[in-house]
Amino acid sequence: MSIPEHRGPAWPIVMRRELTAKLTDKAFLIGTLGSLVILVGYFGYVTFTATKSQSYAVGVTAADRATAATLVTRAKGIDATTTITLTEVPDAAGAKAGLDDERLDAWLHQQPSGWTLTSRDGSDALATILGQAISAEVLADQATRLGTSPEELLKSTRLTQAYLIGDAEKAGLAKGVGFAFAFLFYLAALMYGITIAQSVVEEKQSRIVEIIAAAIPIRHLLAGKILGNSILALGQVLLYAVVGLVGMSLAGYGKYLGVISGPMAWFVAFFIVGFVALASLWAVAGSLASRTEDVQATSGPLTILVMLVLFSGLFATGTVREVLSFVPPTSIVAMPMRVVEGAVPISQVLLSLGLLVAFAAVTITVGERLYRRSLLKTQGRVSLRAAWSSTD
Amino acid sequence: MLQITELTRRFGEVTAVDRVSFTVPPGLTGFVGGNGAGKTTTMRMVMGVLGIDEGEVTWQGAPITSADRRRFGYMPEERGLYPKQGVVDQLGYLGQLKGMTRAAARETVMAHLERFGLADRAKEKVEKLSLGNQQRVQIIAAVMAEPICLILDEPFSGLDPSAMDSMADLLREHTSTGVPVLFSSHQLDLVDRLCDRLVVLARGRVVAAGSSEELRSTGPSRYRLVLDGDAGWVRDLRGLHVVDVDGPTAILEVEEPGAEQALLTEALGRGAVHELSPIRPSLADIYREVTA
Repeated sequence: MSIPEHRGPAWPIVMRRELTAKLTDKAFLIGTLGSLVILVGYFGYVTFTATKSQSYAVGVTAADRATAATLVTRAKGIDATTTITLTEVPDAAGAKAGLDDERLDAWLHQQPSGWTLTSRDGSDALATILGQAISAEVLADQATRLGTSPEELLKSTRLTQAYLIGDAEKAGLAKGVGFAFAFLFYLAALMYGITIAQSVVEEKQSRIVEIIAAAIPIRHLLAGKILGNSILALGQVLLYAVVGLVGMSLAGYGKYLGVISGPMAWFVAFFIVGFVALASLWAVAGSLASRTEDVQATSGPLTILVMLVLFSGLFATGTVREVLSFVPPTSIVAMPMRVVEGAVPISQVLLSLGLLVAFAAVTITVGERLYRRSLLKTQGRVSLRAAWSSTD
Repeated sequence: MLQITELTRRFGEVTAVDRVSFTVPPGLTGFVGGNGAGKTTTMRMVMGVLGIDEGEVTWQGAPITSADRRRFGYMPEERGLYPKQGVVDQLGYLGQLKGMTRAAARETVMAHLERFGLADRAKEKVEKLSLGNQQRVQIIAAVMAEPICLILDEPFSGLDPSAMDSMADLLREHTSTGVPVLFSSHQLDLVDRLCDRLVVLARGRVVAAGSSEELRSTGPSRYRLVLDGDAGWVRDLRGLHVVDVDGPTAILEVEEPGAEQALLTEALGRGAVHELSPIRPSLADIYREVTA
């Protein structure tokens, strides 16, 4: 019997195993599904509250009824989701009684100085919309008397905002999206980083690594491991991002999708390079340990590094942040966050990405050497110095 | 043929393997030695998973390459497999790493599982198997890709007698096609029974090597004498070293060739002789002697 042989690099075989091992792991699948449920639930809630209609029962006396009715019509034109129902009350005492037993949400009555809205504890949304309706009504009234239109009257008073950085809502959204990016990277880097370290030490502890090392170059083992986990991490993050974007458009933020998708592409680019750069270091952290229990100690510095990346992205401001957005690995988060918040010249983004690629090249080279040299040392923890200076 | 020449490995101040030389010709070679004698270290150097300080390993007369090693079957000391992966899946994976196609690897794995009576547990996770069964899976990992040489570290430890027999059969199958097999063991009787050759290691050095017949013949030949009466008189004979006398029984070592014939003549002259027989030293005796 002769065995059909497959000739080709070994890393795709390793990569495939990493993928299938994870994709058939119940804990992983349940975790992913759980996160999706939370994400969908959140956007469902936002969509629900945004489109939910509000209705108010407002009491008026017979004298105010006609004027109030025109105000309600105006209010309807200002915000269609708010419904105001007028209920006639005999007098002030009757209105108070209606408020007390909660038949009424408010009592609207006209006084010489203007309108008064009385409610149990104040209703801002109702007061705002009625206030706008009253201004509009009065303005229209005055304009008619002057023989002109409200638009003519207000023409020279109009303040048009020109946005240099972006309007406030967009800025808030940018901030939110930036935070989401930063956290996604943080979670993915940490979760998959620890997964890589654990899987390295699992192979080392069980000595299966000796069988593998005798069969294929250790370089291929490392490459397959990093690629497999990078694909998984990116796939998971993209899944969340797509669900997030769909959710945003359903929740009424659809007009911002165009604004966000550009930075999103940069985020993905920085994420891929940044993840790969750190992944080889996580593999080293795993290879320095001999038992699963040691991983926490050997990966401690990396955990701190990943947190540093997160915090620099979230909290650094001004010049510090600009500098950090070029320095790997903090640039992984800081640069895409700058991009999403406003105009960063494309040359700067490319420079930062280039520096990150160079950084990744260094960590992979150094990581490969450390990994190769410490992987087969199975007695106790290996110090970085020992791993670096040893001869295989 | 696998040849190991002047192989040396130091760990800090300790020389774990000290200029070790031996050959592994086609057939079974037992690798014997106490704990810390350097067996595992030597095997790991042969497999290239541990650096070599001095010396060299050659395969078919040329320095061994990683392509050669890829075709070796290797079973490390501590049983290593992915505990959380199914039996077929991970054996198939290891087969693919050794250059087999997915389908061929699967087919060979199933045939081997069948043979060890593990076919119905093919999908089970390795951690669910008993230690003995894990070891069977481990040996399948070593032999599945038609290895050109087998390096097995303690393949028999922890196996029950019937598993030992099927393991021995499997190894003989491979040696019958001219594959050199080097396996380490603590069980001297087993090595004695199975091996064509053995290499004894003590404190990092080879203290004896050869077929068990060769090893036996290196020691002094001993005889056991049983008489009717007291055997105390044997102490007066020349050319013999008396190891022990107990009433009518004596254990003697022949120092001058032919002295045993003189002994017999003398003994017959004194009365009845019930027994005069050479004592075949057990491998354990030899081992104790060479490692002492």
